[in-house]
Amino acid sequence: MMAAQTLLEIRNITKQFGGLAALKDVSFDVTAGEIKAMIGPNGAGKTTMFDVLTGILSPTAGEVSLKGQSIIGLRPDEITAMGMIRTFQTIQLFEGMTALENVMVGCHCRTRSGFISSGLRLPASRREEKQIKEKAMAVLKDVGLHTRANEIGTNLPYGQQRLLELARALASEPDIILLDEPAAGLNQYETGELATLLVRFRERGLTILIVEHDMGLVMQISDEIVVLDYGEIIARGAPQDVQNDPRVIEAYLGIEA
Amino acid sequence: MDKLARPLDADRRNYRTLAIVTAFILLIPVWARAIPGDVLHMDIVNIMVLAGIYACVVVGLNLLVGYAGQISLGHAAFFGIGAYTTAILCTRVHGFPTWLGVLAGAALSGAIGWLVGKPVLRLKGHYLAMATLGLGEIAFILFQQLKGLTGGTVGIMDIPPLSIFGLKFDTDLKLYFLVWVIVMALMLLSINLIRTRVGRGLRALHSSEVAADAMGVNTSSYKVQVFVLSAAFAGLGGALFAHFQKYINPESFVIAISIMFITMVVVGGMGNIWGGLIGVLLLTFLPQVIQALPQWIPGLPSGLQSFSNYELVLYGLLLILFMMFLPKGVADGLGRAADFGEIRARHLRDRRNAKRLEGR
Amino acid sequence: MGDRKQVRLLWGAAALVAVVVGFTLIYKGSTGLQWILSGLTVGSIYALVAMGFSVIYSSTRVINFAQGEFTMLGGMLMFTLCTRGGLPLWLGFLLTVGIVTLLGAGFERAAIHPLKDQSVITVIIVTIGLAIFIRAVAKWIWGTDPVKVASFTGDKPLHFFGASIVPQSLWVFGLTLLAVVLVFAFFNRTLLGKGMRAAADNPDAASLVGVSASTSSLVAWAIAAAVGAAAGAVIAPINFAAYDAGAMLGLKGFSAAVLGGLGSAPGAVVGGLVLGVLEMITAGFAPSGYKDAVAFLILILVLLIRPQGLLGKPADVKV
Repeated sequence: MMAAQTLLEIRNITKQFGGLAALKDVSFDVTAGEIKAMIGPNGAGKTTMFDVLTGILSPTAGEVSLKGQSIIGLRPDEITAMGMIRTFQTIQLFEGMTALENVMVGCHCRTRSGFISSGLRLPASRREEKQIKEKAMAVLKDVGLHTRANEIGTNLPYGQQRLLELARALASEPDIILLDEPAAGLNQYETGELATLLVRFRERGLTILIVEHDMGLVMQISDEIVVLDYGEIIARGAPQDVQNDPRVIEAYLGIEA
Repeated sequence: MDKLARPLDADRRNYRTLAIVTAFILLIPVWARAIPGDVLHMDIVNIMVLAGIYACVVVGLNLLVGYAGQISLGHAAFFGIGAYTTAILCTRVHGFPTWLGVLAGAALSGAIGWLVGKPVLRLKGHYLAMATLGLGEIAFILFQQLKGLTGGTVGIMDIPPLSIFGLKFDTDLKLYFLVWVIVMALMLLSINLIRTRVGRGLRALHSSEVAADAMGVNTSSYKVQVFVLSAAFAGLGGALFAHFQKYINPESFVIAISIMFITMVVVGGMGNIWGGLIGVLLLTFLPQVIQALPQWIPGLPSGLQSFSNYELVLYGLLLILFMMFLPKGVADGLGRAADFGEIRARHLRDRRNAKRLEGR
Repeated sequence: MGDRKQVRLLWGAAALVAVVVGFTLIYKGSTGLQWILSGLTVGSIYALVAMGFSVIYSSTRVINFAQGEFTMLGGMLMFTLCTRGGLPLWLGFLLTVGIVTLLGAGFERAAIHPLKDQSVITVIIVTIGLAIFIRAVAKWIWGTDPVKVASFTGDKPLHFFGASIVPQSLWVFGLTLLAVVLVFAFFNRTLLGKGMRAAADNPDAASLVGVSASTSSLVAWAIAAAVGAAAGAVIAPINFAAYDAGAMLGLKGFSAAVLGGLGSAPGAVVGGLVLGVLEMITAGFAPSGYKDAVAFLILILVLLIRPQGLLGKPADVKV
């Protein structure tokens, strides 16, 4: 088994919105191959952290490096090309596109055909199209949605839409995936399926940083948990330790085990 | 009524449709010339040349507005840049090849599209609309004021007809075929774009710019690229326009023309590859039909006889009503009618099958 | 852009305008003053048109491309009622404003309200359609020639440091002042007005205080139509109303609104006056055809550099 290397280094990230500090001097690492959970009450800064990590927001201070390279100031699509991708808290599937087409967009960063190549249907473009389609189908099969490939993505039942968003992100062949409340709105069965899926992908080498409120899921799959409250880390460690940490319990005022 | 999963483009269907439409369009002059002029009261071939020229603009604009979800209320500027470029080159430089003038017009339009597109496409929604409107107005003022270059309000006359490798396109009929072959080529390009990676990227950025960014689409670059493409197409149309009319002046590039282009896209159907064409044909022929009405139906009251009186009234009303009742355009309306027909047919077929099973 | 840089930008813009105006006065003396006074007069009309845009925008986030037509109708109706119909000016004015207000409200109910969930482009096209429709009907009714409306208090010019203005200009200034005070007071001091501003960003909260998005939209359109018509009525004696006056007025009024800050009534006035003066000065120094370009150049520059305009807040702009 390969030595554990740090994939994502987050150092002293601070994000101010006018007078309000959404994130205060937050630092933690994500090791390759681990599933790390970031939990905390609403408004703790978790989604803001994701926005900073993926280039949607630039931090007021601090550094982030992915695989040793700084990503501060890069565009979201550049960060995706480097191997870090995210899903969204509210489903952001592309309207008017089939499940397959949605996933095919996920392949965008790994392909190159531009306006001229695509417009003129040059051989390179045709080849790429074939590859994209095959890859997307494979990913759909992996998550169990291949029977729905040609249905409009937003017509699928809610649980499958969540799965589709995940599939779309996976199509970009990321090193690390940031999941923003992937279990929101899922029933117990669907959540269990999601857990199995995530663990399976982790076994294939995917690193996962997950924000979740469903404590059952978090406890089940996480290797380590980082707890945020009011933009600061108030606890970190193995799931059992964090669960029993009085500061965490206080922050949540009754944490669901 | 079950929601049919209708992907925006069905690959083979579009190419087949393109072939059929091309064949149909190439045959139009045949039957148009067959109908006597005093029955028709309009020169269909001539009108269709103009429609084809507008179609060049609208096909590109549809990609920008319908697929990428941006907006431009100033595209007449690019139309004009294309026209003036070829007009100036062909009338000032002795023996300048006209086909090169057309290419130069398209290229310069695209280049200026890049120059203004980069800063302006950072804006969204109404702000983008107004910025493009402002740009269109500035272009119009420049067309009027730069008298040394453009001839000012008088314009440029005696633009030579197009000739490509010795073949001279000096009649409406010859231009008809050239223009529509070009339009079909542009349509082919569009269909290719839409069904591939680029098209998906554009549709993605239309749907959710944030998600498209996150999925690896460089949205700001794509917006500029599709804008440049639409500017180049518009420039191409404008250059063809110059060689068709043989005379241009700023009046052909006023804001009303920009509005007309957008209307064609919207009424025809945004986000549908055929929407642009439908819109062009509808809005080019409608005024002609209205004008011909008094001659078809002799008994109309005299107030309605004069075309300019009520054409604009109808036009404005059309815009309002279309947006209220068919916001996705005629193409969508046709699509929904087709869906409805298909569901009915399925229904009837199921009933028939059920009856047959019972009878057994 | 940082806050400090923004403040410096504002001072820079103000300084630039001051320099241009100062230069004009010094270099061109009383002719320059004449330009500036004409600029303030036409700028007041831009201000009133801009206020119409601002009112609708700040309540509904819609840009009404037909705003200029309300002003055009104001002038044309004054002609029909007073010049042709012989009605006293005050009555004609009230009726004109009333009729156009009903028209604006009617259009809002008929075509804008049903489209509240549609995309930006759809609503834009609808208001463009309205503009075309109104213009075409106006052409049908009144023809293409400009029409004459009598000045409210006569035509004897008033002299002022070598420049002169007609008394009607004072009416224009007066109306602008009245309008900005009323509109500002309405949106900042009355519950309905404040509710309407809230409804644009947070319809649920607004409806809790009794102001629905629907009411908001209706009242906004009514006010915008009223202000527009009043402006048209008062400028008609100076500018010779015609069926196509609305187009340019609308565009320039919008530029003024963006310059001053969409959604701000005082901003509309500042934007309008600055635009009017800059336009007249440009027409004085440069070939007159370029005058119209000033509005559009300002529009584009503002949108690119400081989209919230001079007096707007950055939060107002979803650019």
